Amino acid sequence: MKPRTLLIGVAALGLATSALGQLDFGRLGDLAGKLKDNAKDLGKVVKGATGIGPEEEKVIGDSVALEIAGKYGGLVRTPAVMQRVNLVGRALARYSDRPELNWRFAVLDSDSVNAFSAPDGYVFITRGLYALAGNDDALAGILGHEIAHITGRHALKIVARGEFLTGATNLVAASNSKVGNINAQLQQFDAGIDKIATTLFEKGFDPSTEYEADRNGHDLAKQTGYAPGGLRSVLAQLQQRGGDPKKTFSTHPPLNERIKRLPDEPAPKT
Amino acid sequence: MKMNLSSAARLAVLLGLLGTSAVLAFEAGHAAYTKRVETNLLTEPRPLAPLAGKLGYRRKVTINEVRGGWLRVSDGPAGGWVFAGNLAEKQPDEIKGADGLPLSASQTTATAAARPLTPAANDYAVRRNLGEARRDLDWLQAQCKALTPEEVNAYLQAQKKGEFQ
Repeated sequence: MKPRTLLIGVAALGLATSALGQLDFGRLGDLAGKLKDNAKDLGKVVKGATGIGPEEEKVIGDSVALEIAGKYGGLVRTPAVMQRVNLVGRALARYSDRPELNWRFAVLDSDSVNAFSAPDGYVFITRGLYALAGNDDALAGILGHEIAHITGRHALKIVARGEFLTGATNLVAASNSKVGNINAQLQQFDAGIDKIATTLFEKGFDPSTEYEADRNGHDLAKQTGYAPGGLRSVLAQLQQRGGDPKKTFSTHPPLNERIKRLPDEPAPKT
Repeated sequence: MKMNLSSAARLAVLLGLLGTSAVLAFEAGHAAYTKRVETNLLTEPRPLAPLAGKLGYRRKVTINEVRGGWLRVSDGPAGGWVFAGNLAEKQPDEIKGADGLPLSASQTTATAAARPLTPAANDYAVRRNLGEARRDLDWLQAQCKALTPEEVNAYLQAQKKGEFQ
């Protein structure tokens, strides 16, 4: 994609999400006026590496997290599980490249084996994967991988690259209807969330992004003091167990390739 | 270029090693960056040592000495020991607000303690019929809020993690 197209697309998302942050359905007219004003400042809303600033990231993160919780059976509400996953998760997050994010870790009530992250510090692992993390070193390996997706802004980069944004710049100018503008903005925003959800649930990140998350997650776990073979041991367990590939890290690269690319370190003691 | 299997394997191993060591490659004489709102500089390389000073967000520091997981760094006249996990090798992104102006880290998501869902995400939940998921996330926020930074700190100390290794 040409840089200019990317810039325009990113600016449009900024506009859409800033507006969404203030959305009040009872005052659509006022908001439409505000949107027009905001449109003048398109050039100003380009922020950060992906062009998406902290306020936008919160809205996107919350919405993606809703999709994840909705699709994977909701959350396991067991206090001991929550305590463990958040203690290990926050210990890691403290030494991550974005230690000040509002980090939240949870277990999804699904027997599939997978893990997901959403922008702004949401990390989810399924009950099926949590069951394989018999010790904190293994759990740290899994969570470290997801933390690396967030600190690397991998999901946000999908949105910033997304073709769905390219037509968004004409939204304000193209429509004479204020309500029409807002509906169009909402549709545009929802399409962006769909794009991230499709990547998370169906397509997966590209393999190089996954290997990067494996490597950075491994390094984070090691630096925090967890046994560095944690993630590799979980992946090896899964490989040994076999089973339905559709239910085991179905959106990630092949297990053998991921194992091969991680350092051959001893599995943590159980 | 022709490459036999064993050279390819050696190269792959070398590349793998280079890749995995990248994050932990702090060296004396190199630069590092602060990544927190406030980074404590300590008088000694241990977690409970007296404070020598504080640095703000995105400060570039010079690494003067490496001792295990600890780095002795300086930023002009300010200097002291920092646990390596509290610094980044690359300068963190500058954070900008909706007006395009730089924000300090303390004004961002960042320092944010647990917060409720954004109004826009609540609207999204209504549009997408995700009411149950919204209740789950509300519950998650409450649980996370209940786990204090002091408890995380106590866990790190008890488990000998992070700077308490």
